[in-house]
Amino acid sequence: MTVVLDARDLERRHALEGGEVTALRGVSLQVNAGEYVAIVGPSGSGKSTLLTLLGGLDLPSRGSVAILGTSLGTLPDRALTRLRLERIGFVFQRFHLLPVLTARENVELPMAEMGVVPAVRRARADELLAYVGLAERAGHRPTQLSGGEMQRVAIARALANRPAILLADEPTGELDAATGREILALFRRLHADGTTLVVVTHDERVTSEASRVVRMLDGRIVD
Amino acid sequence: MMTWAWAVRDLLRHPTRSALSLLGVAVAAALLLDMVMLSGGIERSFGELLRSRGYQLRISPLGTLPFDTEATLGEVTVLTAALRRDAAVVEVAPVLGTTMQGLHGAATASLVTYGITPTSQGIYSLESGDDLVAMDSLGILLGAPAAARLGAVVGDTIVMRGRLDPQVANAGAERRLVVRGMVRFLYDARDQPSVAVPLAVAQRLAGSEFTDRASVLMVRAADAGELTLVTARLRTAHPDVAVNSIDDLVAQFRLRLTYFRQLSLILGSISLVVTVLLVGTLLAITVNERSGEIATLRAIGVAREHVAAQVLVQGLLLTILGGAGGLVLGLGTARWLDAILTSFPGLPAAISFFVAEPAPLAIAAATLLVTGVLAGLPSAWRAASTPIATALRSDAP
Repeated sequence: MTVVLDARDLERRHALEGGEVTALRGVSLQVNAGEYVAIVGPSGSGKSTLLTLLGGLDLPSRGSVAILGTSLGTLPDRALTRLRLERIGFVFQRFHLLPVLTARENVELPMAEMGVVPAVRRARADELLAYVGLAERAGHRPTQLSGGEMQRVAIARALANRPAILLADEPTGELDAATGREILALFRRLHADGTTLVVVTHDERVTSEASRVVRMLDGRIVD
Repeated sequence: MMTWAWAVRDLLRHPTRSALSLLGVAVAAALLLDMVMLSGGIERSFGELLRSRGYQLRISPLGTLPFDTEATLGEVTVLTAALRRDAAVVEVAPVLGTTMQGLHGAATASLVTYGITPTSQGIYSLESGDDLVAMDSLGILLGAPAAARLGAVVGDTIVMRGRLDPQVANAGAERRLVVRGMVRFLYDARDQPSVAVPLAVAQRLAGSEFTDRASVLMVRAADAGELTLVTARLRTAHPDVAVNSIDDLVAQFRLRLTYFRQLSLILGSISLVVTVLLVGTLLAITVNERSGEIATLRAIGVAREHVAAQVLVQGLLLTILGGAGGLVLGLGTARWLDAILTSFPGLPAAISFFVAEPAPLAIAAATLLVTGVLAGLPSAWRAASTPIATALRSDAP
């Protein structure tokens, strides 16, 4: 089984005015190809911090993260950025779509950065929007979409460059129950199609669908 | 990246703010354009005006420039003949400038009167009627302001009265002259009432002290390429007069207008500073507001340099659009200011203070664009250095 993500002994300390805060304390995690891992825990348990380290959005104070054998800590910024572009898909709680771009353009964005020619990336964007059920909304801007639609566009964007792993931070956190269920159904389909998923969530429904559940408390994995 | 389209849409997100910023850049660009046109334009315009009739040299009383004082050259007949003996000299046109009184019916006007040689003159162009001809001692040509003040038309008779003699408080000589034609005097100030009469007539009316005298001699040389040599030769041959080429006169003019160039340099620099402040401020605000979007771009794998380029393109777009507006505004204000400045007494109305020359304008445009890019650099650097995780946590688009 291919190890897609290998995090070892991660520690993250933040310097604050009142002193230093340790958000993660020696966290290790391996994710194999095709796994659907749910990371759960109460607020402040360090799960979002862990996700930023796993995605190379921040660097650990100690420990290492490797994606498909490439250690993120040793990469210069340019190479780390490229790795995020090619290997990692991100889905955020607040969607973080670019408001001036249409749904299709938002999905095209990572492909444009990869240098994919416009006709090809447009076709791929349309294919992905159809996959998430938004073929008819391709020309709409985020402000013209509902929360669930925006999250589906964000998922399509995360899949644009066929990443090795998709990292989602509270993907249903901003959505009502029904819309959240639609997003979870979409994740289920992604998992069934072979996508490797790591989802940070409060949503207990995710734990019932994930192939593995990792529980965190006070910056440690407890289960 | 869909950089330009993206930048346009970003500007449209806050239309009022963007419009005000564009207006500010346009005003600054207009100021820069006008200052560039002012800094070199008047010299070029002055040079072109002096060359317009093909006379490349001016000979005036020693120590003076043409029509700078009331001093005159003596023994003009001899001097003219001597100048014509130079192989390089093709034509010599003496001009006497003085003030006389003109009467037509009940109208009286003080007129600037040029005494000219009809066969070789370089101070006017005929607009209507006939030109003066050799041996015509009864003809007069009127400029439009003089004709308006006297209410005279072609064919009318004008009484020209020479200077009052201050010793005897007596009127000068009088002569009745027939208006042959209407002319445009090339070097006159706006609304200057001028007339042209044969040189001999002007000398006679001006009084005995003007006999065989002229204010300036305009000289045409055969080979424009040898002007420096001809000028030097004439200076040596005639050390008692001032021999100036048009380049010399333009240089003198430039010295007198040094303050104009300094003013234009200062105001041009101020316009660039204003552009930097406007573009820089707007981009700083934009980057602050968009920190979440920028962090998203970085998170999904957009390179730092592309994020920076996006900010720079927005600055460049502001500058280009503002510059285009500034071009229209600048040309409009230049025309308006030109009308004001050329109405100053003593300046030829035909001169332009603001001349649009391709090379300086291209340099000004390039400077403006570079300024726009430089103004965006701090914000671009800040955008490219956005801490991804922190910005994503604290901001949402």
